[in-house]
Amino acid sequence: MTVTREAIAVPDSTEPTLALLRELRRGQARKRASGIAYWIYVAALFVLFFGGAQISAAYRVLRHPPPGGTHALSVLHAAPGSLAALGLLVLLVLLRDALWRGPVTLPAAAVSWLLGTPVSRAPLLRPRFRRSAVASVLAGAVVGIVPAIALVTNGLGGHDTGSVLRLTGAAMVSTALLFALGTGAGGLIERHPATRMWLRRATPAAVAGAAVLGGLAGWAAAGRPPAVLDAIALWTGPWGWAAQPIIALAGGSAPLWPLAMALLAVLALAALAAADRQTAGIPGSALRTRAQTLTAMSAARASFDTRGIALAYSRAGRPRRAWFRLRHPRRRVFVLLWRDVLALARAPSRLVGAAALALLAVGMFGIAAASHSEPGQAGHAALLPVAAALGLGYLAAAWLCESARLDADDTRRSALLPFRYDSLAWWHAAVPCAVFYVVAGVPAVALSVAAGDPRLLALLAVTVPVLVGGALVNVFRQPYPPDLFGGFETPVGNSAVFPFILWLTMGPLVSVLPMTLLLSAALGSSSSGALTRAVVLGAALAAALGAFAAHRARNLRAS
Amino acid sequence: MQAADPPPLLTLSAVSRTYDDRTVLEPLDAELAPGQCTAVMGMNGSGKSTLLRIAAGRDTPTTGQVRYEGRVVTQDDIVVRTEIAIAGDQVSAYPDLTVREHLQLVAVAHGSGRDADDLVDRALTECRLDGRADALPGSLSSGQRQAMFLAAVLVRPRRLIVLDEPEQHLDPAARRWLASLLQAEKQAGAALLVATHHAELATSVADQVIVLSDGEVTSRGTPDAVLSEIAWLAEIR
Repeated sequence: MTVTREAIAVPDSTEPTLALLRELRRGQARKRASGIAYWIYVAALFVLFFGGAQISAAYRVLRHPPPGGTHALSVLHAAPGSLAALGLLVLLVLLRDALWRGPVTLPAAAVSWLLGTPVSRAPLLRPRFRRSAVASVLAGAVVGIVPAIALVTNGLGGHDTGSVLRLTGAAMVSTALLFALGTGAGGLIERHPATRMWLRRATPAAVAGAAVLGGLAGWAAAGRPPAVLDAIALWTGPWGWAAQPIIALAGGSAPLWPLAMALLAVLALAALAAADRQTAGIPGSALRTRAQTLTAMSAARASFDTRGIALAYSRAGRPRRAWFRLRHPRRRVFVLLWRDVLALARAPSRLVGAAALALLAVGMFGIAAASHSEPGQAGHAALLPVAAALGLGYLAAAWLCESARLDADDTRRSALLPFRYDSLAWWHAAVPCAVFYVVAGVPAVALSVAAGDPRLLALLAVTVPVLVGGALVNVFRQPYPPDLFGGFETPVGNSAVFPFILWLTMGPLVSVLPMTLLLSAALGSSSSGALTRAVVLGAALAAALGAFAAHRARNLRAS
Repeated sequence: MQAADPPPLLTLSAVSRTYDDRTVLEPLDAELAPGQCTAVMGMNGSGKSTLLRIAAGRDTPTTGQVRYEGRVVTQDDIVVRTEIAIAGDQVSAYPDLTVREHLQLVAVAHGSGRDADDLVDRALTECRLDGRADALPGSLSSGQRQAMFLAAVLVRPRRLIVLDEPEQHLDPAARRWLASLLQAEKQAGAALLVATHHAELATSVADQVIVLSDGEVTSRGTPDAVLSEIAWLAEIR
């Protein structure tokens, strides 16, 4: 019996405990190492199989840089704004990662069995932080190759191998430093929970800042804004500092890039050092919450439950407050509409995200329409921008269908509603369609007036219900049937991956794909027949998707 | 607490907990001395687990303070980790470690050194897990799993034990065993704070019962007094 009434001396048990754990889990460590090696092998095979051609093309470009094309100057002008915007977004993602996962996570078992003991936390946590920092720096270096290749492909950065390698090296180093800064700052956010509130508050401002920088890039690509704006963009913060060496070595104007690089290096190293020093002080509550989130996520991932992963992520955040009130309707037909409006209003970030995606979709659609109207572009052309616009639109529609998703998560939730379950698919379409029409309608009208092309409005009118229908098809899908896991072996792997992809992407496949063909044909032709065909077939498709979603809802309820 | 009681080990002063605009625990005072047991009872969602989490430093009270021997309780405090044993918060186990190895880990982590094996053997016997010592957690029944968590309390030094519904998943015989185990712990000088739905367990072990309803203390006193006062608890009894 080790009950005592006297104070208990704090034991120095860290080393023997960790040694015992290592000893007991030696087999597990080997198993994990072989698992990691296997996944590296699979990833390498995947990259070589699907990206081999691109990698070899990139290698050829680096060896023999092409001459500057007609777009080279525009790309160079747009580089300060676009690289700074991308840097800001990357940094934001790394920092927000610390809100739910962070650079330091402990497995749930270690949290349960070791965190409540007197074992010192430094040897438990510090190695994990250092591993995260190394992984992050390596990832940053790899990501840094992408902008370098993009610039070199456009004939920027010199025409000899040495200059290209210098540009690539600078891009890799500056991006690695940006990632290091993100990881260090992430570690500090994890250590000091009060900073999470500030990060959440700063997020919309950061996204807006990235949008402004992106707008500056667009302006620079199309015209020539005052050079001082580029200079301001490059000195707005570490994201701009990281862009400077890339721009300077690509032939742009960033004369103080060594200073910017030095500032970034100092800041990144300071953040890493501070986080490393303070890692042992990460509160147990933060580690417990993160372990719970990751456990829920890995359970969802094991059953290919993408919705489960999203729910685990959203539950890791701050609990929402029901701050928005809306008087309930008196007539029963409005109940579900009222419920959907409440759901959207109480998740404003989702609404803003969907609106941003819808705006981007309209913008992309405008680019597609403009490219069709260029001489020699008649017929079926530019499928890619149309598909991209519809893809963005689909994502916006999917975000707006959250309320339907809540009913699909647990079919019992809607038991008290005065509707048949399968009819919910139809009812839940109303509010997302209305919101989408409002958000996308205003810029679409402006675009239509500017282009003098009223067809855009007709196409928007028919596209929105198709995209919402496609999103609802995905919302009401059943859990992945286990019998589909067993495919048959082919020379390129097991065939089970194909039904899985089909199961996962049924919504976009049945909505985006056919609409891409219809809209592309309508935009590529000046005849009213193509437009009429797109509108009629689109309307029929929307109705069919509604019926399909209702059918899936019925099956979901029965399962 | 009686005036003659030993000085309190754990003191909760005006402790309350609010999440946004929802109060889950109204301000509450309580003291717990060595060799005493307080049982917290109430319906699901009444605030029992919140109170226990706060008492163990796993949650921060919105108002008030929890002190353990005069120091503010937080889960990261080394003294709290050394002296307060908590059961009911383990949600996960190492899938590749046996029951015995889990207990060895806890014993060694608390500095038992060469005594670890003896402690583990005794705890396994005490918790009737001898036959399952080499089993992996995945093969345990829920009752055996609960017994493993209780055994983890026994292999470590402790002055205060916080148990959240320890009777969960235990059959009637095992619940009687649990009551005798907690009695023995109390007699050895441990202070016990136990959340339970089981009136019999509270009656046999607790010196004081606190009944919570919607986060508010609706009754407190000796088990007999409280259980005769609260009809629904008496029914369970």
